[in-house]
Amino acid sequence: MSLRQKLLLILSLTVGAAVAAVAWTVLVRIRLVFEQRDQQETALFVSQFQREFQHRSAEVAAAVDRMAATERVRSMAFELAQSSDAAPYLTEAQTLAQDAQLDFLEVIGPDGNVVSSAQWPARFGYPEPAAAQSAPAPFLKREDLPDGSTALGLFAVRTIRRTEAPPEPGQEPGPAPAVRLIGGKRLDQSFLADLPVAPGMQAGLLTDTGSSPPLSPDATTLTGPSSPGSPPNPVRFDAKHLIGVTGDVSGAARYQPLIDAALKTGQPSSWILYLTGRREDSVNATAIPLKNESGTVLAVLTVAISRAGMVQAQQHIRAIAYGVAAGGILIAIVFSLWIAARISRPIEQLARAAEEVAGGNWEVRVPERGRDEVSVLARGFNRMTGQLTNQRDRLVQSERVAAWRELARRLAHELKNPLFPLQLTVENLVRARELSPAEFDEVFRESTATLTMEIANLKTIIARFSDFSKMPKPELERIDAKDALARVLALYGAAGIQNDAKLRIETDISIQPMPLMADPELLHRALSNLVLNAMDAMPEGGTLTLSAKPRGDTVEIRVADTGQGLTPEECARLFTPYYTTKQHGTGLGLAIVQSVVADHAGTIAVENCASGGAVFVITLPKAATSS
Amino acid sequence: MLRQVAISCLVAALVIPAAARTRPHYGGTMRVEIEGDPWQRPGGLARRLVFDGLTTMSADGNPQPALALDWKSENDDHRWQFRLRSGVHFHDGALLTSVNVVASLASACNTNCPWTTVRVAGSSVVFTGDSPMPNLPALLAGDDFRIAIAATNRAGGLVGTGPYQTAGFANGVLTLTANDACWQGRPFVDAVEIRVHRAVRDQWLDLSVGRADLVEVPAEQLRLARDQHLTVLASPPVTLLALQLASSGVLGNPNLRAAIALAVDRSALSNVIFQKQGEITASLLPSALAGYSFLFPTGRDLNRARELRGGIAPPTLTLAVEGGSALQQLAAQRIALNLREAGFTIQVVNAASASHPDLCLRRFSLECSEPSAALESILHTAGQSVPLPEQSLAVTFKAEHEFLDRKLLIPLLYLPRTYASAGRLRDLRLVPDGAPDLAQVSLEDAP
Repeated sequence: MSLRQKLLLILSLTVGAAVAAVAWTVLVRIRLVFEQRDQQETALFVSQFQREFQHRSAEVAAAVDRMAATERVRSMAFELAQSSDAAPYLTEAQTLAQDAQLDFLEVIGPDGNVVSSAQWPARFGYPEPAAAQSAPAPFLKREDLPDGSTALGLFAVRTIRRTEAPPEPGQEPGPAPAVRLIGGKRLDQSFLADLPVAPGMQAGLLTDTGSSPPLSPDATTLTGPSSPGSPPNPVRFDAKHLIGVTGDVSGAARYQPLIDAALKTGQPSSWILYLTGRREDSVNATAIPLKNESGTVLAVLTVAISRAGMVQAQQHIRAIAYGVAAGGILIAIVFSLWIAARISRPIEQLARAAEEVAGGNWEVRVPERGRDEVSVLARGFNRMTGQLTNQRDRLVQSERVAAWRELARRLAHELKNPLFPLQLTVENLVRARELSPAEFDEVFRESTATLTMEIANLKTIIARFSDFSKMPKPELERIDAKDALARVLALYGAAGIQNDAKLRIETDISIQPMPLMADPELLHRALSNLVLNAMDAMPEGGTLTLSAKPRGDTVEIRVADTGQGLTPEECARLFTPYYTTKQHGTGLGLAIVQSVVADHAGTIAVENCASGGAVFVITLPKAATSS
Repeated sequence: MLRQVAISCLVAALVIPAAARTRPHYGGTMRVEIEGDPWQRPGGLARRLVFDGLTTMSADGNPQPALALDWKSENDDHRWQFRLRSGVHFHDGALLTSVNVVASLASACNTNCPWTTVRVAGSSVVFTGDSPMPNLPALLAGDDFRIAIAATNRAGGLVGTGPYQTAGFANGVLTLTANDACWQGRPFVDAVEIRVHRAVRDQWLDLSVGRADLVEVPAEQLRLARDQHLTVLASPPVTLLALQLASSGVLGNPNLRAAIALAVDRSALSNVIFQKQGEITASLLPSALAGYSFLFPTGRDLNRARELRGGIAPPTLTLAVEGGSALQQLAAQRIALNLREAGFTIQVVNAASASHPDLCLRRFSLECSEPSAALESILHTAGQSVPLPEQSLAVTFKAEHEFLDRKLLIPLLYLPRTYASAGRLRDLRLVPDGAPDLAQVSLEDAP
């Protein structure tokens, strides 16, 4: 990954993370604000419901109070107190309840038995335990109905007439039995419909309106289920019994945990309920347990406020936030791209310049702009490359001088050897003029032969130098390294076996194709030179190993011997022209080999083997795959 | 002389209108309002006015000729021959024939008939039975066996030979017009308008403002009607309120049926619901008719009822209410409460919505004055039968006792039938089963 990409990535991530963090913070804060507002709204409506409930209770109490104060009821109470005949009043409760708009009304005689019942007219003559209710406050009661079901109602008890009865002999005077009215209003769908409900709000009521339990076989009297002796069972959740204003409550089963929590604690509980998998279908629901005097929960009022509007607003805000964040991130990326380019461009120029310097082009320069660290670096780079160029020039100059000196030394050395016999021969010829003609002729003949041989030797030396100076340009063609090695083996393998049985040649050549673009003659000449050097390095015999293997995009050819090896100094200077470790070498062989390898875009190196001896490693680029 | 003539003329002028007013006048429309169906059996007012039976009940409760001129029994009451009245026409003009009569009786009684076969014998109709039928003439006076045929005119429906014929039904009012060719003679009133399914309170209101001439008075409101100074006609106790029990299913157990019979509190029904206007009974025949009602105990024994139930927890039983009046519903709910105390769970339903209820609260009309015939009539209405080979009180008691021991029908109360009438109705009387005899009524203000 390039520096620009890294910078771009880092900047983008930094800006993106910052934008995302801001967006998340905003969204969380908005959600909290919405939920807080939602909870406040719910609490407001719940308190309204509770006030309405208390208002209903007061209405029931007032209705029963008004009824108890009417002349008609007082007259009835008087008649009932005077005579035990309740038959004329069988339907009185229905009439009174209709007039007072009460759903439930029972007239209880002085004996505590029902005289008339609006909700269950056939129940006359049976006792009503709720008549013993002494508190004036309205209370909740579950009322049995003729069809076997039960209904929940808000009830109030009022005493109609209380007269002083003549005391029985031996008893203290006390209040006479009184006639009582037990009036109530049903808590059902109509009750829910009358509650103040805002749009999106749904009220529900959970009551156990199922069949009333049958009397036990041993029961002797029929009493209501809410009598003190037989307390009513607390309501339990059943989705069928949770009713709303229009009938069933949608997703009633989802209310169970909420209602169970309210039933368990006996206190209102509020949850967010998800009626479906969609967030829009969630409600902020509150369950309010409704208890009777003994604290038994007889019903649960649920208030559910739709969160659809809030969720939609949240989604709208979220969409805007996501849009802003996406735009911000996009702008940040573009800005980061510009910043990264601005920052990385001088560094990239420096990197490219460094690569060119590494590639040998020391003339490269980078622009120097500004005064920042990068410009300091650029100036330093330019100064460094300038110094390198100067040093290289000086080095080249010194090497050139050294090469000339070496050349001169070599030439002097090479030429001195044949010149000395020439000088001796010429001096012998001079001295031979003193000899007899026959002897002179003999000397002359030997001297001319010697002169001819040495002159030829001089020519050979001169030809070598001439060849080195005139290295031919390689004529590249597609060959396989195996073929080049096979050709060398064919030439020196047999020679090695014939001339020196102590020399053993081994090969380790890969069977994989190793195509090269090379001049076969020059490559053969180079490899032959290395093989000859190896053979020279093992005068006492040894093992010459030729190997070739593909190494990625290159082919590696190794020529190893088991000779004495090389010193580090020899390794460093071995490819220097005219440097030789042999007694009669010209020092041009390995220089020619290096020149050939270099002309084929390859490299050559020498190193000592761990098991002794030296190994030359030629690395040549593999030829492109032919179509 | 002149003075005597003038006095005579003055006396005549005063006496003649008074005498004229004592004679019934033809014409006018009588308006009747009822809570139920005028065609219902038994006791449907329209049924009584439109259709005739082979026999009819006299004022003293004995069968007398109607469409049949006379009858005779043979073979120890196993065979009865009824000779038809000649020259009687149905409202559509068709002549009354023995074929029509047999067809009508056959369609009216498919099963559980008092007879085994009925066939044509010239101008007579012959009934034969596997068992003696001593009460057949009385039974044939019942509403179930009134003669009706399908109309041949375009109006369709059923037509009879009665004093009134159907003229139309609109806006809840059934209009009957006088049958000028009635074999009994034309009725006095030209038309009778029967407003059906009218609440009792509304009926009374209409009577008080002159929009109705005859309205119903439920037995429990008799005292209230008298308090309001209505002209009330009350029959003797002629309507039996009884609880009919199924003989199959859960109640196939006779102990459970006996437990139910013992659990019902008749006194509460009579004293409170029916406002002491009913006669508590445990027998099918009223005390005034049979005289042995006291032999059947009417008391409630809840403990014995629980014992008979024997710890069995029967499933919910359905109690249907025939007729569906509010009072009968209330009575049914009271009975359900009584039975609940005995360990039964009862669901009160309307008879129309229950195909095979376990219990049914029904009303039976007492149409005959002869105990044996009355018992047979009640049992026939209940879909039951008992052998009554002769019309003796001992045989009747034995048959009733044996039947009641099976606890398939639990008599509760005998109730009167009561009506309130307007002052312009003349000669209104109640027939032995408590129904008003509207065919003999005339209007005071008729032209």
